[in-house]
Amino acid sequence: MRLLPLLTAPLEGHGWGMPHDASLDGWRIDDLINETSLFVILLFVIMVAWMLWACFRHGERHQARFDHGSSPGSIAVALGIAGAIFFVVDGHLFINSVLVWKHVFGNFAWAETQPGAVRIEINAHQWVWAVRYSGPDGKFGTRDDIITLNDVTVPQGVPVIFQVASTDVLHGFNIPNMRVKMDAVPGMINRVWFVAKETGQFDIGCAQHCGANHYKMRGVLTVLPREEWERWAAVASANSAVAYDPEDNDAHWAWDWEKHARL
Amino acid sequence: MHTIESEDLQPIHPEPTSFWLKYVFSRDHKVIAKQFLWAGLLFLFVGGTLAMMIRWQWAFPGKPVPVLGSVLLRDQGGAIGPATYMTVFTMHGLIMIFFAITPILIGAFGNYCIPLMIGARDMAFPTLNLLSFWTFVISLVLVICSFFGQLGAAGAGWTTYPPLSTNIGTPGSGQTFMVAAIFVTGVSTIMGGINYVTTVIRHRAPGMTYMRMPLTVWGLWLTAVLNVLFVPVLGSAALLLFLDRVFGTQFFIAGAAAVRGGGDPILFQHLFWIFGHPEVYILILPAWGIVGDILSFFSRKPANWYRGSVYAMCVVTILSAVVYGHHMFMTGMNPLLGQGFMLLTLIISVPAEILFLNWLRTMWQGSIRLHPPMLFAIGMVFVFGLGGLTGLYLGATATDIYLHDTMFVVGHFHLTMAAASFMGSLAAIYFWFPKMFGRRMSEPLGKIHFWWSAVFITLVFTGQLISGYAGQNRRLYNPYEYTFLKHLLPLNRWTSYSAFILMAGQLVFVWNFIHSLVAGARAEMNPWQVGTLEWSIASPPPHHNYDVIPTVLRGPHELADPLVREKLGRDWIGQDEPLLEQTPGTSAPAAAAGRG
Repeated sequence: MRLLPLLTAPLEGHGWGMPHDASLDGWRIDDLINETSLFVILLFVIMVAWMLWACFRHGERHQARFDHGSSPGSIAVALGIAGAIFFVVDGHLFINSVLVWKHVFGNFAWAETQPGAVRIEINAHQWVWAVRYSGPDGKFGTRDDIITLNDVTVPQGVPVIFQVASTDVLHGFNIPNMRVKMDAVPGMINRVWFVAKETGQFDIGCAQHCGANHYKMRGVLTVLPREEWERWAAVASANSAVAYDPEDNDAHWAWDWEKHARL
Repeated sequence: MHTIESEDLQPIHPEPTSFWLKYVFSRDHKVIAKQFLWAGLLFLFVGGTLAMMIRWQWAFPGKPVPVLGSVLLRDQGGAIGPATYMTVFTMHGLIMIFFAITPILIGAFGNYCIPLMIGARDMAFPTLNLLSFWTFVISLVLVICSFFGQLGAAGAGWTTYPPLSTNIGTPGSGQTFMVAAIFVTGVSTIMGGINYVTTVIRHRAPGMTYMRMPLTVWGLWLTAVLNVLFVPVLGSAALLLFLDRVFGTQFFIAGAAAVRGGGDPILFQHLFWIFGHPEVYILILPAWGIVGDILSFFSRKPANWYRGSVYAMCVVTILSAVVYGHHMFMTGMNPLLGQGFMLLTLIISVPAEILFLNWLRTMWQGSIRLHPPMLFAIGMVFVFGLGGLTGLYLGATATDIYLHDTMFVVGHFHLTMAAASFMGSLAAIYFWFPKMFGRRMSEPLGKIHFWWSAVFITLVFTGQLISGYAGQNRRLYNPYEYTFLKHLLPLNRWTSYSAFILMAGQLVFVWNFIHSLVAGARAEMNPWQVGTLEWSIASPPPHHNYDVIPTVLRGPHELADPLVREKLGRDWIGQDEPLLEQTPGTSAPAAAAGRG
């Protein structure tokens, strides 16, 4: 029978859950998603059960009740249920979203001031991620900058702060394993940061449709233990200095690190 | 007094006799409704075929497409290439939204139901109605031109974000034709919207107060209000984009590609989504209204808290204008602004819950008849429930970080806009078919069509939700380029099988529709035994709808009234049917007596 492998097809592979969370703060998103799912599944099951029950119990043989459902009591029940769901489910999402943005994902003031924090500029264009580290001098656009393509190497356990821009169309800088995503917009510099909890290699994807080869705009994030990363950075910076070509204007994109104060 | 006024306002015009004026350049809202229905169903098929090509690509990346490939993609060996793929999903989205759902739900049922259900003889501006349809035809021609454009059809996604949608990302006439088509169809929609808004305000029959209008009319009317307010914004965005593409302006170009300062790509997103979020309610409000009525009719029970549903739809209409920012959380929006949009977005769940509670409580203690319109109405509540609930994650700034631009978004908006609109449209088609064409559709085939569609449409879009939850980004030609998505191939393949079966199942509908059209049993005046005005006249109605403009006495859902049962021996009463007067000489009871 050819049908059997067809039926079992979705069961192959390694499950359908979210990709492994390798970041320090990704669990905040995961928990919020999964807690909301509990509410959502509960509400949906009640709704379906209600409709099924109505169809079976209040079918053709059942005498319909002449009721407009507009008595004050009935309206109070509806408003009460709607209000309760809103304050519990939506309220939970709202408060946690605000707190998580305030304390973590939007908290660049904290990330920027951590010792050892790594700053990276990403210049996206069709269809690569151009990556720039400031190098030992801490300044972008100088001879010792580390420059790579599609290859982001970061240390474990310290904040990694990205400033993201684009030269042509919109792109979306997206690292699912780190639970970060930010659009790269021409004419704008956007920011995003995370702390890698685990070492290893992870996919960088493009989240915004950016043309025919959008699907091939894949980068690799490599997380190294801190000392190993220091050695990598020293070697990479020295190599970049050797390869530095003052005539090559295309290679000289960079901007001063923006410390704009946002909420 | 009122009767005389409305008779003066809408005198009976003779029906045109020439073929062209009767069937082609007709000013009759019923004929224009059918024209929109044919056009919409045709493009629904085109959009559906494109969807199958996308699903094929995700199930069998780069493999030749069976049947379609050898016809449409001969120069690529039958397979879909990356450049073709982006035109396929772009055209799928634009066609489905602007040229399939809009003409069916708004063009066809807006035109058909509004005058009939409010007791009018036609639209307020019949000539504008004619122009609206033929302007729409011009936009369809532009869509077809886009397919034959040099460098292929439009490819910047249905959202048409610049700079990709400018010559930087998508040179070639295909994208330009599509931008023009959006502008022109917008002109058509605005004409229709002005007509609907005016008709509901001016042409309601005497006694048809706002709070006696069927929920269908409320849904269609609020949709028309949104169209009139927000389609012009889309039109202006399309026009500016057209100028960028054709005349070298730089409204939406920034960064290295811009000379002399350039513009702002994000400005387009603001313009697009301030239209685009109301648009999702534009597409679903008619379905909400239709479902609100049908659930009551087939539960043989008044709609629960009618005013609550009306207020809820009004609140959604207003809120829809101020939540659009949640589409742009990832553009670098100020987090404080994001929080504002998040709060407004989440507030929408309150009126939505009121609507759901009303639907559920309408069914409760009813006497439910599971005819095809009722099945599709229940199906709409089911898929919209799933779609609405999954919207919660996307309206919150924290959970959206992970889920933004994934297949989860695609699953969510397909459940709300595609599956729910599909179910709502089919509920409407099965319900009003007897009135529109004077014949009955087959009930058994309708039920087969429902179960087939309901099962597989749910599988398709929950499959998308699951792959999105697993991290699959949308619009990927080959998702399996990414290591963390490789294991999703079996899931996506399974989803694709569901989509193919769903598409195949529509043959049941096509057969039922066409066969019933020519050979269905003759429909009596009021086959569903309900009281709204359109069922008090012949099926199909005469050219001028009402010989005498009816005088409305009550709301649309007066079912199961014990007094009516006692006096008339049935569980329904017409909106214009006097109950207590026993004299048969007056016109309204005479008309009522003729009802099945």
